[in-house]
Amino acid sequence: MYINIGWLYPDLMNTYGDRGNIIALSYRAKIMGIEPTVNKISINEPADLISKMDIIFMGGAQDKQQEIVNKDLKIKGVYLKKAINDGVPGLYVCGAYQFLGKYYKEANGNIIDGIGVFDLYTESPGPDVPRCIGNIVIESKLFPKIKLVGFENHGGRTYFANKKQAFATVINGYGNNGEDKTEGFFYKNSFGTYLHGPILPKNPELADYLIKKAVEHKMINNVGVGRDRPIKLKRIDNTWENKARDFVISKL
Amino acid sequence: MKNALIILICKLISNISQLLNLGSGSTWPGHIALILNKQFIEQVIDNNKNLKIIVIAGTNGKTTSTALLKFLLEKSGKKVFTNSEGANLLNGVASTIIKQGDLFSKLKFDFAIFESDELNLPLLLNKISPDKILILNLFRDQLDRYGEVNTIALKWLKSLKKLTGKTEVFINGDDPQLYYIGTKLTQKVQYFGIEKKLMKLKEIPNDVDSIYCPVCLSMLKYHQLSYAHLGDFYCSSCQFKRGVVGDFSDKKVSYPMSGLYNVYNTNAILQLFESLKIVIPSKEGIQNEWLKDFTPAFGRQEELIYKNRKVFILLSKNPAGFNQSIQTVSEMTNKTKANFLIILNNRIPDGLDVSWIWDVDFQPILDVANNVYVSGDRVYDLNLRLRYENSKNIINTFENLSTAVESIVNKTKEGERLYILPTYSAMLEVRKILLGHKFL
Repeated sequence: MYINIGWLYPDLMNTYGDRGNIIALSYRAKIMGIEPTVNKISINEPADLISKMDIIFMGGAQDKQQEIVNKDLKIKGVYLKKAINDGVPGLYVCGAYQFLGKYYKEANGNIIDGIGVFDLYTESPGPDVPRCIGNIVIESKLFPKIKLVGFENHGGRTYFANKKQAFATVINGYGNNGEDKTEGFFYKNSFGTYLHGPILPKNPELADYLIKKAVEHKMINNVGVGRDRPIKLKRIDNTWENKARDFVISKL
Repeated sequence: MKNALIILICKLISNISQLLNLGSGSTWPGHIALILNKQFIEQVIDNNKNLKIIVIAGTNGKTTSTALLKFLLEKSGKKVFTNSEGANLLNGVASTIIKQGDLFSKLKFDFAIFESDELNLPLLLNKISPDKILILNLFRDQLDRYGEVNTIALKWLKSLKKLTGKTEVFINGDDPQLYYIGTKLTQKVQYFGIEKKLMKLKEIPNDVDSIYCPVCLSMLKYHQLSYAHLGDFYCSSCQFKRGVVGDFSDKKVSYPMSGLYNVYNTNAILQLFESLKIVIPSKEGIQNEWLKDFTPAFGRQEELIYKNRKVFILLSKNPAGFNQSIQTVSEMTNKTKANFLIILNNRIPDGLDVSWIWDVDFQPILDVANNVYVSGDRVYDLNLRLRYENSKNIINTFENLSTAVESIVNKTKEGERLYILPTYSAMLEVRKILLGHKFL
């Protein structure tokens, strides 16, 4: 079994160590007995490469880099939207998360269109309002019994009407907007989140969830390839991962 | 209040606080001086017209470059003072002035060298117009504290533009964004860099920020790179490309420290020093004879002897710096196996966020490591980071730093070298353990 991991704009959307998510997915998939191939998809790669991916990841970046990516997403965004709607699992952090919404409103009122696959919008309060910076701890119904941790550092505030679509509830930190205790967004098999840290190494349950969904999705779409067989993936000992996570929680 | 009186009062406060052991007294005399007179710094500087002022800014290499320039100037018989380690803020600069000034607010020196971090450069330049300003580099560093690289670059450009024509600017010409800033200035600008022969990277690494064209926003291309986003860059959509840089390739420089980053630091200082047109007695030129005698600042490629082991400390505090440390040690070990202790803290001077360790490539260390030890406040993050490199190495993980040090020392034979790569506060901590007392 092999999976294709698509890494969108690794050269531009990689300011906050989010590359660690790619490292974690690859590392854990290998232990589970799956061969991962990481495909970097940036400005110069063809848009239809996105359609061949089993997991998609995109990280956060600075404003200038996002301006460049925004232009490129005019075409690639169509493919990305289709993949997400088709149930291809994905993780979209910070700036990438904001791109998936309907729009991003700058402090001066200027509207930047997103690809609109997540029913949400983001507003920038401007440079005079402090950014949401710090350790963050959240709880998600998808992962009962555990807390997830990360580090957030964002200026934009994200809002949506249906709170049930949130990825998680904030225990400590800001989350989507610092007001309604929601963090991130969950739709089909895709996660939008503000958590850096990076999120996957210290929250291995989420990494494994994405890998399992990728395998499932691949099987459903490959007619006759073991569709009825339950997927058995090798379990991984998470002692060190849990210690790293517990440290962040203990500092609350 | 007269500045002379402020200096007197603050000197007294500083002495008393040292006497009573209320901290080192390094920055708060300056804090008080600035409360008593907001214009204390600019007024005292203005009262010392013969003093030449040099400002050194950048993400990495400030302390090393400041120490190197001070060393060269003092060798030439000049009197120099600098703001001491960690005194980067305005109150640190004011404290330095209080310490070095006499009771007539006179600074009896030829040169003042002020190092300034990313955030404080604009604040400092609001107060003083230096004779020379050196911009070493700009990398991502403590994003939760300093903010993003683009934001900093914009602030720098704004404040450099406000300086008068008196200020001469020295800029890293291998950094696309900094080179661009240089082209926007009306002052005299000189660029330093390294010779292309030393640029060995063909592909853009992970720890980069300024890899798009600042003119037209296309992705930049590189003929070759030295490290991070530094290299021989060009834009294929417009005319923007690396200009002429002073690389000292014709001078056979004996570089006093290892690593490409120190070639940059040294070339920068040589270029700045040459511009001062100081007549020196040496026939060989300073680049050979003098540089040999330079001892690095503490924690920056510093070798300490501990229980007959040679302990080599390389401060490593952000992705670009860490990757350079790793490249340097992997070259130094010359493919023979060595022991490594990596220490990750996340206190105020380190930045609270440790996400950045995932932008560091640890594989070259794992390749040459006999034993790998990790410690520090965020030891488990470091454990994960190293294990996820897919190496076969066992990662020896110690919450307690003293225990980690003793254990790795026991694993290292007498006379052999071991390498320590700490973040800033971890560097102070490990030196304290190795030296048995707090020593800056």
